[in-house]
Amino acid sequence: MSDFDPTSAKPLRKGNAFEDFEVGRVFEHHWGRTFNQGDNSLFTTTTMFFNPLYFNVEYAKAEGHPDVLINPMLLLSTVVGLSVEDLSEGGGPFLGVDDLTFHQPVYPGDTVRARSTVTGRRPSGSRPTFGIVTWHTEAFNQRDERVLDYKRTNLISRRRGEQGRDRA
Amino acid sequence: MSPETLTGNGNYFEDFEVGQSFRHVRGKTVEAFENQILTHLVMNTAQGHFNEDAMKDSPWGQRLVFGLVTGSIIIGLATQDVAENAIAELGLDGLRFTAPVFHGDTLYAYTEVVSKSDGDRSDAGVVVFRHHGYKQDGTKVFEGERRVLLKRRPLERSEDE
Repeated sequence: MSDFDPTSAKPLRKGNAFEDFEVGRVFEHHWGRTFNQGDNSLFTTTTMFFNPLYFNVEYAKAEGHPDVLINPMLLLSTVVGLSVEDLSEGGGPFLGVDDLTFHQPVYPGDTVRARSTVTGRRPSGSRPTFGIVTWHTEAFNQRDERVLDYKRTNLISRRRGEQGRDRA
Repeated sequence: MSPETLTGNGNYFEDFEVGQSFRHVRGKTVEAFENQILTHLVMNTAQGHFNEDAMKDSPWGQRLVFGLVTGSIIIGLATQDVAENAIAELGLDGLRFTAPVFHGDTLYAYTEVVSKSDGDRSDAGVVVFRHHGYKQDGTKVFEGERRVLLKRRPLERSEDE
């Protein structure tokens, strides 16, 4: 048995704070994601998203598609998921999503990556330890075709020492 | 297999009128199962959704359901009634997450018909719906608009089939 002392280990950190989001800064998000049939069936049936385009390949083919479609809410949730470490893992509630467009279908086997641009930030009037940040997030398939874009707004923790200072 | 017989006959483009509102019959209790498997499936790395120990010291005292799990379930609960015959989901707007949802809460979905317009194709039209999500105590947890391209009733089906 080694004499490892967990209290002496350096704590690692993830995420960014309000002060890190200069307007115009671009984040190319990590990992990307290839969607498969299992992802899609699990998500679609668990959320009871009952349109056969997402779980009946013969129906989807009759509608002119080569395969079932990836559920658009799975696409959105995954793109947000891939962006969390860069944008919101530092802490603060999810406020909203606006102006979202699904530009074209995503099929099983397609690979999606995401990037976000900071479009606005301001201090929170009611909560001095938080600020409000807005990003424009875009997602692209393996052919660099845009499949999704939206604006997202979050409350974001301010760095200690900056809290309560109305400097954006 | 005829695609026309796989979906309902009361939810084509013609069947919706602006101003209608609906309460969808099925609610859904969000167990740890739904929040954990869907949060991880979509690779949301925020541990407020999956680390109960860390959340004990937070203002909420427990894990929070990821907002898009809540939103996806509300939209899902409404889908059979309003978008079972959708050709495409076109977009979303004004998604708002208005109160925290915890494991064990039960969600109910409501829908308003906001607008209707002709689409790019003759066999379908565009409908904007506004979904509302509530939990068992009446707290509003979600709202959002959804734009779908919805099939018109095919010639093969009559209204009184």
